[in-house]
Amino acid sequence: MLQHALFILLLPLVSAAVIALFLRRSGGIAAAVSTLTAASIAVISVILALQNERFTASSEWMRFGDFAISLGFKFDDLAALMLVIVGLVGLCVHVFSLGYMADDAAKARYFGGLSIFMFSMLGIVFADNLFMMYIFWELVGFSSYVLINHWHEKQSAADASKKAFIANRVGDFGFLLGIVMCYWLNGTVNLTELAAKGEAHTLVFSTLLPLLLFCGAVGKSAQLPLHVWLPDAMEGPTPVSALIHAATMVAAGIYMLCRINVLMVPDALTVILWTGTATALYAALCAITQRDIKKVLAYSTLSQLGYMVAAFGLGSLSSTHRHGTDAHTVVFAAGVGAAMFHLTTHAFFKALMFLGSGSVIHGCHHEQDIFKMGGLRTRMPLTFWTFTIGVAAIIGFPYLAGFFSKDAILYLAFANNPAVFALLALTAVLTSLYMVRLWKLTFLGAPRSDQASHAHEGGLTLTLPLVFLALLSLVAGYTAFYPNVFSGVFDLIPVAHGADHTIILITSVAVMIVGAGLGFTCWQSAPTDTLAEKAPGLFAALAALKNSFDRAYDYYVAKIQQRFALFVNFFEQIFLAGLIVRGLAGFVGLCGLGARALHVGNLNAYVYWFLLGLVGLWLFATGVVTL
Amino acid sequence: MTTATLNDYVLLSAVLFAIGFFGVLLRRNTLVIFMSLELMLVASTLALVAFSRFNGTMDGNVFVFFILTVAAAEVAVGLAIIVALFRKRHTVQVDELNTLKN
Repeated sequence: MLQHALFILLLPLVSAAVIALFLRRSGGIAAAVSTLTAASIAVISVILALQNERFTASSEWMRFGDFAISLGFKFDDLAALMLVIVGLVGLCVHVFSLGYMADDAAKARYFGGLSIFMFSMLGIVFADNLFMMYIFWELVGFSSYVLINHWHEKQSAADASKKAFIANRVGDFGFLLGIVMCYWLNGTVNLTELAAKGEAHTLVFSTLLPLLLFCGAVGKSAQLPLHVWLPDAMEGPTPVSALIHAATMVAAGIYMLCRINVLMVPDALTVILWTGTATALYAALCAITQRDIKKVLAYSTLSQLGYMVAAFGLGSLSSTHRHGTDAHTVVFAAGVGAAMFHLTTHAFFKALMFLGSGSVIHGCHHEQDIFKMGGLRTRMPLTFWTFTIGVAAIIGFPYLAGFFSKDAILYLAFANNPAVFALLALTAVLTSLYMVRLWKLTFLGAPRSDQASHAHEGGLTLTLPLVFLALLSLVAGYTAFYPNVFSGVFDLIPVAHGADHTIILITSVAVMIVGAGLGFTCWQSAPTDTLAEKAPGLFAALAALKNSFDRAYDYYVAKIQQRFALFVNFFEQIFLAGLIVRGLAGFVGLCGLGARALHVGNLNAYVYWFLLGLVGLWLFATGVVTL
Repeated sequence: MTTATLNDYVLLSAVLFAIGFFGVLLRRNTLVIFMSLELMLVASTLALVAFSRFNGTMDGNVFVFFILTVAAAEVAVGLAIIVALFRKRHTVQVDELNTLKN
């Protein structure tokens, strides 16, 4: 088992190395190597998960005195679930990329980037300690940077990749501090040992510790206030957006939170809860005014990630079981279950929609403005139907994937925090609204541009992943569908009973119908945004809300940070560069100048120096001069 | 007839040394400078012999044997260097031997 895990961890690294070293100029072979790697990962990860054999293994990597850093595997149900998600979505995206990136000039770099991403992501999934997770955490950040920057000739892509990297660095620094603090408080960063300490009630808790670790998730999962990089990251190729910025990497933050669940304290959970809720609502509001098909999906991803973080922040749930007359209460980490469940379903339907949007963009010759689309239903039927399944899944259409996972979260909110429940329900309304708007503008009505009227369905590599992911989006919501190997996660999913069940069901269906109805009726299939015409004030307010963070950061960087940097630079020039560096060099130069004057090149002159030296020595020897 | 005293020997030795020293200082020909150096060496050995004679010990004399032996070797090396120098540069004037400076 360990060999299999090690094999699929190292395989993409080998693939990336082979592509980087030998296949830079042969994109076709590189694509084949990378896709075969992804296929092997998908197959072996499913086998690993289904064999229901869970293990931990670790070996020491380096040691400084008492402190050792180890690399190891912790393969439990949580990791198995994440592994299967990464494997399946990764394979779909690789296959889709074969068609989507077929004519790209830098195909080898692209597929090499995908391989190095798969390696990094699997590292996070398998990591058995926080240090190892941090290493791979940075590696996914790097591969995300490389892939966003794939079309680096475009200034916007180059800027977006830098923005993503820097925003992630901010969060990662908090993560690193959290890891150090965890070691300081508990003497270990090994997840298994932390869990054991938690069982034995010897764990040292602190509110700051989970919040610092949460900083990492804020950066990677793009929560407020570090969310700004994710919408810009859409500059990358669309399959990359599907894999990295929708299904897997951005979900790594939630996965990490579930990994360190044992360290959580109520105060920290409250902060996490409200951060997630605020992100969910804010991003949903932003999504309404977007024109770019990928930007809508990006804000939708942000919103759904907020949902997951909020679900995690809702924490545990106590459920009472009755066996005849005796009742016993069980507290279980419902937050982990709900968050991971939504992560799973979201990974499938959001990857489906991103790949669908990629298919649309490919069909429309790289037109991304939804107001220039329309009428694609008849021109791209397969994309239309699969995309429709994706939309239905995300808005919580009954008996599709999103319906179940969203209900689980809503029920948990209903049971633990009514205010959050109201906000999440409002977010669900908005989600239905902007998704139906997107769907209607893209696929219905008459084509509004030449590109749209000449749109065509792509080849088999483009459509096959769509069909596969659409099937998963149909069934992924049924916990019974999964083999009984993920019980460590799925047993934690909160399920409503009785009256609660009815309330949640009615709420979720109601918000979906209200949102979808509003979305369908408010926007006309027109080349201009109906909302901007009918309610310009509201539209401007939403656009300003979307821009507020970027404006604030621009102001901070230009006005505050830049001035501080200039101030520090001034001191650096005077003291470091001026006094210390130049001063020392000048002193030595002066000594050299003096010494050079003695070297006259005349033998007789040297005899005088010799005489002078002799006199000096004599004076010293006779005691006239003392040192 | 007066016998020479220690002072006479030391004076002679000092005068020889001074001649040698000023030779090194003022002459420009490497060969002459080298001879002046040897003169200084011999002047100092003369002083040693004189001290040895007037103290009635053999220490100075023994020293002189060693100095003469080493000086012979040194002269051989020194002259060889000067010959090689002349072959290479066709001059032994120190004014013209200033390649290191330029």
